[in-house]
Amino acid sequence: MEKLIEIKNLTYTYEPDEEGQTGYTAVKNVSLDINKGEFVAVLGHNGSGKSTLAKLMNAIFEPTEGTVTVKGIPSVSEENGDRIRRIVGMVFQNPDNQIVATIVEDDVAFGPENLGVEPAEIRRRVDEALKTVNMYEHREREPHRLSGGQKQRVAIAGVLAMRTECMILDEPTAMLDPKGRQEVINTVLRLNKEQGMTVVLITHFMEEAVLADRVLIMDGGSVISQGTPREIFSKPGFLREHGLDVPQSTELCLELGIEDCVLTVDECVEKLSLMMGGAV
Amino acid sequence: MSVPIELRDVSHFYSPGTAMQVAAIKNISLTIEEGEFVGIIGHTGSGKSTLISHFNGLLKPSKGTVLVDGEDISQSKEVLRAARFKVGLCFQYPEAQLFEETVAKDIAFGPKNMKLPEDEIARRVAEAAKYVGLRPEMLDKSPFDLSGGEKRRAAIAGVMAMEPKVLVLDEPAAGLDPRGKKEIHELIRNYRSRTGSTVVLVSHSMEDIANLADRVIVMNHGEIAMNGTVDEVFSHASDLQTMGLNVPEITRVFTALHDKGFDVPPNIYSVKEGVRILRALLEGGVG
Amino acid sequence: MVKDITFGQYYPSKSALHNMDARMKLVLTFAMIVCIFLCHNFFSLGVMALFTVIAVIFSRVPVKMLLKSIKPVLVILIFTAVLNIFYTKGGETYFTLFNKISITEKGVNTAVFTMIRIVVLVVLSSLLTYTTTPTMLTDALERLLSPLKVFHIKVHTLAMMMTLALRFIPTLIEEIDRIMNAQKARGADLETGGLIKRAKALIPIFIPLMVSSFRRAYELAFAMTCRCYTGGDGRTRMKQMKLGYRDFIALLICLISLAGIIVLNRFFIKII
Repeated sequence: MEKLIEIKNLTYTYEPDEEGQTGYTAVKNVSLDINKGEFVAVLGHNGSGKSTLAKLMNAIFEPTEGTVTVKGIPSVSEENGDRIRRIVGMVFQNPDNQIVATIVEDDVAFGPENLGVEPAEIRRRVDEALKTVNMYEHREREPHRLSGGQKQRVAIAGVLAMRTECMILDEPTAMLDPKGRQEVINTVLRLNKEQGMTVVLITHFMEEAVLADRVLIMDGGSVISQGTPREIFSKPGFLREHGLDVPQSTELCLELGIEDCVLTVDECVEKLSLMMGGAV
Repeated sequence: MSVPIELRDVSHFYSPGTAMQVAAIKNISLTIEEGEFVGIIGHTGSGKSTLISHFNGLLKPSKGTVLVDGEDISQSKEVLRAARFKVGLCFQYPEAQLFEETVAKDIAFGPKNMKLPEDEIARRVAEAAKYVGLRPEMLDKSPFDLSGGEKRRAAIAGVMAMEPKVLVLDEPAAGLDPRGKKEIHELIRNYRSRTGSTVVLVSHSMEDIANLADRVIVMNHGEIAMNGTVDEVFSHASDLQTMGLNVPEITRVFTALHDKGFDVPPNIYSVKEGVRILRALLEGGVG
Repeated sequence: MVKDITFGQYYPSKSALHNMDARMKLVLTFAMIVCIFLCHNFFSLGVMALFTVIAVIFSRVPVKMLLKSIKPVLVILIFTAVLNIFYTKGGETYFTLFNKISITEKGVNTAVFTMIRIVVLVVLSSLLTYTTTPTMLTDALERLLSPLKVFHIKVHTLAMMMTLALRFIPTLIEEIDRIMNAQKARGADLETGGLIKRAKALIPIFIPLMVSSFRRAYELAFAMTCRCYTGGDGRTRMKQMKLGYRDFIALLICLISLAGIIVLNRFFIKII
């Protein structure tokens, strides 16, 4: 498998007084790889270092110790940072604080404009990106009139138009209602499955992490566990210890002593039906 | 005894009198009874926020009457002001309201506006801080130095310190991690069991509503679509789904099993309860 | 709802005016506004009014929306009209009261004249914002001012700041609304009391607003860095500005109007 992001012994300490943090070490000795085309979910409670890790992955922060390498480019200088951000795009939690233009399509164009892409090509990319996230018919609207889910899809389109290979989403659904959350997650899932976009999804919602190929658990700045969703969610006690949770269906089956971990309502109903076959 | 909140045929229009007039809520009649725990659900734009803003008179109805403690709050400025303190409204992301130098001063903002004596304010601040689990040494910190979850709790304490008859919370756990969410629910339960006061909770999480509320009001297109006990409301899973809502995950499992003909009740709202029922059934089946 | 306050009230359409080059629109609007003040009698003002009507037709902006933009200046309109009617003297006297207050021909003329002027002014300038997105407008301004780079003025940075300000005004208005409601729910009294008390009452609103604005600015800076923003150098634009036949026709119409105004100013007596 081709490695897209390689992280080795990464540590990051905030400078004293920056944002009121006093020399706080947010990421401690993390080593991991993100493979091309993979969908990785990162779980961890607030302050576990997830967001800092994300900012290190696209070179907004430079490592205090260790290395982050994206397609062979080490994140050590401003110039390299710029090259890395052409490969790794990012979507943030608050949709309002990442939209820069007053018209949807102008905002999507912002990235490619910064890259110096030819105008006609930008137009093509913008239309394509907006169609991909199902926001094409809203292209001339003002962002502040959109719903939260729509705003986040515009932000995703903004990354798509830059033609990055990887998209990091830092709690993109935390401020959305269930409908908006569904819209965003469906979009992300489709991008990963159909276009082979590498996705790193930081989230608090277990039902979103279930959809990933691989789940990382962070606490205290370190990656304390990783594996497939089934492996991870079969340890509810461990997850709770680290401020996390498991989906209700999963918990129900585990409590009943069902060995293989179920992740969705449908799986759960199927398993239970089989078990109770005789009980009808 | 008068009911804490009563709405009689209340409608609220935005841009009234123009072609763009939109009814945010229409013809709402409801009562919130003393000591009740009411959950309000509805998708974004269903009128939930407009509705709760009428409870303490932040919005005035275009039509109809709002009674707080049996008094029409539109009759005078004094009654309206009293309603602000009787109905404590805590909005989404309440940490946005923090502004004082210390957490204690911020929690005291409401009681101070009530013109209470100093010692009473101090008592209330200490009490509210205890309800939300803020340690005494945190009260002298700047609210901006707290963690996200602590800020949220300090803000909620600021509303609790007014000792309202009805505490209205709009998505108090929005944006928090699972542990933070659990803490918020714990503190709401704790507050209620200690004060016995009436609570209204607006939430997108069906699991939370099912676990906390006695009665559920479902808003859809500015109207009350359902109003009943947790059992009554969540037995209409398909209706809720057409309104862009759902039932708790565990309930979905049991409803599906029930529909397949298994001898399980469809109205299960907690994993613990579900495990108990299935275990009994499985062991009984074997024996 | 506060949300409905639009800033840079754009009206989406594909009209001839919408499709004009924003630079030309900006320059011509400015020029025609100057022209309003060149008009000295009703005939030349008529040309100006006719020009405005033509512009409105080609913009396909509903008249209702234009009336909405006049509404805020209605008070000024009435105030100037009343002032002119009573204080400008000359010509035939229509009406006298107590030998003091009188309405004269010149008074009425000036009042009507000023009112038309203001209406034309408001309509023309709002046409510009109705038919041009704020982004296009700041873009046009950036390009028109780009010669100033010679004097080391950071035109791009200024334009970017303007765009961001426009983008965040509705967001901040919403935010103020939210904070005000939260504090009112805690019994904050924003409406009564003297000046000092009211100023003090604003602290609980002002501080949270500052805190959140700084947070927004911080996050926005990250978001812009993530999208490879490094300033104006090396940037391209999706929407190119190209002068087309429409722009030259518009220019021609403006020149004809100007000629008309000058000629009519000469041939008929000066009213104002």
